[in-house]
Amino acid sequence: MTVTDAELDTLSTSHDIIAIGAAADDERRRRHGARTTFVRVADVDAAPGAPTATPASAGEIRIVGTPLTREAAIARVREVVAAAGNTPVSAFSLADLERIAAAEQVPLRTFLEELKLAGLELVAQAPFDQLRDARLAIEEVNIAGLGLARLTIDKLPTADVPALYRQIAALQHDTGVIKTFAPLPRSVNPAVPTTGYDDVRRIALARLFITNIPSIQVDWSLYGPKLAQVALTVGADDLDSVSPIDEVPEGRRRAPLEEIRRNIAAAALEPVERDGRFDAR
Amino acid sequence: MTIQQIADKVRSGGRVDAEQALRLYREAPTPLLGQLADQIRARKHPEGIVTYIIDRNVNYTNVCVARCAFCAFYRPVGSSEGYVLGFDELFRKIDETIAVGGVQLLLQGGHNPDLPIEWYEDLFKAIKARYPEFRLHALSPPEVIHLSRLSQQPVSAVLDRLIAAGMDSVPGGGAEILVDRVRKLLHCYGKASADEWLDVMRQAHRKGLRTTATMMYGTVETEEERIEHLMRLRSLQDETGGFTAFIAWSYQPEHTELAGQEATGVDYLRTLALSRIVLDNFPSLQASWVTQGGKVGQLSLAYGANDMGSVMIEENVVRAAGASYCMDEVEIVRNIEDAGFIAKRRNMHYEVLGDPIFREREVPRMLELAKARDEGDDSVPAELLNYPARSRAGKALRVVQS
Repeated sequence: MTVTDAELDTLSTSHDIIAIGAAADDERRRRHGARTTFVRVADVDAAPGAPTATPASAGEIRIVGTPLTREAAIARVREVVAAAGNTPVSAFSLADLERIAAAEQVPLRTFLEELKLAGLELVAQAPFDQLRDARLAIEEVNIAGLGLARLTIDKLPTADVPALYRQIAALQHDTGVIKTFAPLPRSVNPAVPTTGYDDVRRIALARLFITNIPSIQVDWSLYGPKLAQVALTVGADDLDSVSPIDEVPEGRRRAPLEEIRRNIAAAALEPVERDGRFDAR
Repeated sequence: MTIQQIADKVRSGGRVDAEQALRLYREAPTPLLGQLADQIRARKHPEGIVTYIIDRNVNYTNVCVARCAFCAFYRPVGSSEGYVLGFDELFRKIDETIAVGGVQLLLQGGHNPDLPIEWYEDLFKAIKARYPEFRLHALSPPEVIHLSRLSQQPVSAVLDRLIAAGMDSVPGGGAEILVDRVRKLLHCYGKASADEWLDVMRQAHRKGLRTTATMMYGTVETEEERIEHLMRLRSLQDETGGFTAFIAWSYQPEHTELAGQEATGVDYLRTLALSRIVLDNFPSLQASWVTQGGKVGQLSLAYGANDMGSVMIEENVVRAAGASYCMDEVEIVRNIEDAGFIAKRRNMHYEVLGDPIFREREVPRMLELAKARDEGDDSVPAELLNYPARSRAGKALRVVQS
């Protein structure tokens, strides 16, 4: 199903959340069937020398936080890659890397190539609204031989949703390397959180309008099981940031792996665990 | 009948039977369930109003002999963590409630053997004397049965005494699943069998009280038993018409003896939608944001709910089992309006009282629900001395007090 610009404008203000969600679910099932992927991610801090837990259950080791310098970023990648074994390592926000490269007056591509040489496989996220030049930065990631784990939105966009999604579709048209888009903002004012209707509408419209990005993703730990599960029924097909911890005091049936499988199955979908390379595990 | 035929029947205002309800729950796509439920909501509430109430959810005691396996709130008789709120504490809570525009207390508590019916009568009378317009939505059916057993008087007489003292309506708590097999497994058959719960409501309705009905699902019940619960409520509502609203919530497993897992958000929306379809004689359905969070709570408005429940101000029972969501009036209204509805304040009878109070005057924001008592407060109300204790621990406490 292709949604025209005019339809996108109409849908973006509609309160008929069920109709929008159902249309997006049809589109998602046309592309992916019931298949719903998720990735278990072990976060490690960006500071060199920080503890580096790399559980075997993780499908991706992700270096989170902002490195202070280019040198610190490279050093930390080396440390984590050495500890990660065969598990893919992702790291950093592309916006932070852009900023550091500019501050140290090196081309972004050079910095990315250094990270690649240190063993990095993926840039953890490209926050569309924080990038100085999204098209150029994402192309540089690709040219440097790195993958991009996901395109994200950091803050609620000031532009309306249709305008934003048109820009993102155009970005993918130009770059062609974005595998997943996570349309829900990562930073929200806790005093005025997004509403359930907001979130459902953003996910559904992303699936309906951004036809050139394969997967629509929701962050399991950031948005919580209830909203994330609902998101799977309105267009999302991939869940990020599932905890790799298997042992919890309440027993294995309450562990994240079982919980996520149960939630996906309860939405009449089929859970498939993937790794950071987007390969099924 | 096919799912489509059942859906057509619902669309044309037909009533589904248990078998059809079960097929819808098991087989109908979630959007279809939502659309059917939303159509019924729109038929019953064509003006597009979604209501809410400003009241306070107060638990006067956590001491309980029922010992339900799904409850994380109760403390056994004699526990150092057991409490009874004093009349003055309750007056203070009412003052705070009135200050933010509140109109009633939802007053429920444990089955405390050391609180005789006279304690309740005196409390209700004292509240009514100080706050004549303030409403008491008080004592769920199992509490009424508990008082019947303690006082050795029939339920009807207990209700008469409580009504005379000031009880205005009966909350629908303690229903869990109205199937005795389930109630026995949950250790709540003793506090009230399914028939006993329904009979308290029947008698309350006959005495002119309005009540709500609830369902706590997601413990050990089968899908058939969930449907049976709804059918039993629908049947009583056909008989009396006394229920104002239905509220479903999912079992919250943290810190409970039963433990296990919480039902999912999608299951909640499907259950809510099915409830709207089956309970075609219930005027209102509440969204349970306190168990589902604000987001799924708001989405409930697309799945059959026409009421956002209570601002609550205070909550203890669900919090004890792991859920700690908070929505003040500003947030509830924002969610209602964001979903395209008109937000109106109501009373327990679902009569509209007016527009949001915070648009009429300044009301402090509430970012966290209050608790029954502050940490470390183990005070014992002085007036308890006026009431004979029944338990050994209670008697000992009275001696210490005196």
